[in-house]
Amino acid sequence: MQELLQQVVSGIATGGIFASLALALVLIYNAMGLVNFAQGEMAMLATFVALALIDHGMNYWIAFPVTLVIAFAGGIAIERVVIRPVERAPILTLVIVTLGLATLINGLAGFIFGYVPRAFPSPFPVQTVNILGALASYQDLGVIAVSAVVLLAIYLLLQHTTVGLTMRAAAHHPEASRLLGVRVSWMLALGWGLASAVGSVSGIMVAPILLLQPNMMQTIIIYAFAAAVLGGIESPIGAVVGGVIVGVTVNLAGVYLPFVGGDLQLAVALAIIVGVLVLKPNGLFGRPSVRRV
Amino acid sequence: MALLELEEVRAGYGPTSVLHGVSLSVPEGQIVSLLGANGAGKTTTLRSITGGVQWTGDIRFAGRSLRRMHTEDVVRCGIAHVPEGRGILTELTVDENLKLGSHLRRDGAAVRKDYDRVFEYFPVLRERRRLSASTLSGGEQQMLALARAFLTKPRLMLLDEPSLGLAPLIVRSIFEIIRTINTEDQVAVLLVEQNARLALEMSSEAYVLEVGRVAVRGSSSELTGNDAVRRSYLGY
Ligand SMILES: Nc1ncnc2c1ncn2[C@@H]1O[C@H](COP(=O)(O)OP(=O)(O)OP(=O)(O)O)[C@@H](O)[C@H]1O
Ligand SMILES: [Mg+2]
Repeated sequence: MQELLQQVVSGIATGGIFASLALALVLIYNAMGLVNFAQGEMAMLATFVALALIDHGMNYWIAFPVTLVIAFAGGIAIERVVIRPVERAPILTLVIVTLGLATLINGLAGFIFGYVPRAFPSPFPVQTVNILGALASYQDLGVIAVSAVVLLAIYLLLQHTTVGLTMRAAAHHPEASRLLGVRVSWMLALGWGLASAVGSVSGIMVAPILLLQPNMMQTIIIYAFAAAVLGGIESPIGAVVGGVIVGVTVNLAGVYLPFVGGDLQLAVALAIIVGVLVLKPNGLFGRPSVRRV
Repeated sequence: MALLELEEVRAGYGPTSVLHGVSLSVPEGQIVSLLGANGAGKTTTLRSITGGVQWTGDIRFAGRSLRRMHTEDVVRCGIAHVPEGRGILTELTVDENLKLGSHLRRDGAAVRKDYDRVFEYFPVLRERRRLSASTLSGGEQQMLALARAFLTKPRLMLLDEPSLGLAPLIVRSIFEIIRTINTEDQVAVLLVEQNARLALEMSSEAYVLEVGRVAVRGSSSELTGNDAVRRSYLGY
């Protein structure tokens, strides 16, 4: 029982990492009906930026928000330079553009930083703490706390600020929003900026566990897809709930299903994706009709 | 000088041209109606004004040309466009729809007064504030669209068939409020309507479009009194 509880806490922490990246996917999906295959690579690049800042002596807790700001600006820049010219192109064109972007960023990171995995610092102590008889690591609790704060901040921004309102309006009804003076094109760029910043949290949180190298996010993005699909690809809350469910499921499957072990965990995520798409295509929180906005 | 002036405006969708040189003007503080049969180009005329379709010729608002301006910049000049279909954001709540109307304003105290007025005009919107706009009936959605347009504090409102699909009683009350807004705030209105009789009652001047051209122009009383015009263009 204690062991189970421990694994659940650890799964929630993993889930928080998936949730951040899944939320990033949902933000862009909502803004333009597009799954951004470069989201993981953008997060990886941001994590290299964070490491560079820390290596230059910057305190972790300063480097963290600074990285988010840089990622935010980078996301906006990518939208303006790469996406804007093809904004009205068919969705397949856009998908291919994001795949190209993923390859480009991956290659760029390899070229600049090399492929040797690097240790990434964790700000949380390695000790464990006893909660209700279960041992939870500070590492897991810290990841949960950081993810929760970031996800809450995004929620508040989207639901309780004017800019969040105009972002949601632009995503759902671009024409009607324009008639109300909303700068729809900029809202798209802002969506990319936010997605980039949230996604980078996932990279920074996972790097101490996986070690940082250009391919670090390539499995995480699959889990994030699973989380987003499970939650209903249009739903920010769904992405978070989906992330936690996928994190816990994958963790428990790895521990308790002997044939899954460590190697087949990714298969569990893929099983979730296929299962959801077959049984409940709109996910847990999605609305019935899926349409291109 | 009129508040809004269209001069020889031509517009269309890709290869199909729809407007073949439309000229019209809306004086400051007046209601002008734009009538015409299905497909005459009424909606396209309004879309041209707010940059929803490509056009040539000239459109001036308050003396300033709107050529090559984006929709969001045109409406920021003080034009509120309630489009065909009302443009309600059904994913959002009633309150959020209203907020989108007032989100660019910086005159906080006046905004609060305008909300009070909106809820006085349309008490049902206050009751439904927190509900999704998709739960409103057609008439309530039209009220919301009008309320939201009013909250932008426009100098000119473009209304595209506000009576469409509504029960006569509701149409009456909505038109009352359009008139109130017009007289109390000197908001000019360009009113597109199929219901010619109703539109002519409201407006001081009217234009009749026929396949992309202005076929008749005159004061509303003139047009109401002219039997030939009534029979051939207005259908009553
Ligand atoms: N998006 C579009 N693409 C192509 N043609 C269009 C489009 N919208 C309208 N048209 C055509 O333009 C012409 C004028 O349409 P418009 O909507 O301006 O007419 P209307 O006077 O508003 O008619 P209604 O009373 O039916 O609303 C019609 O022949 C219509 O078929
Ligand atoms: Mg029309």
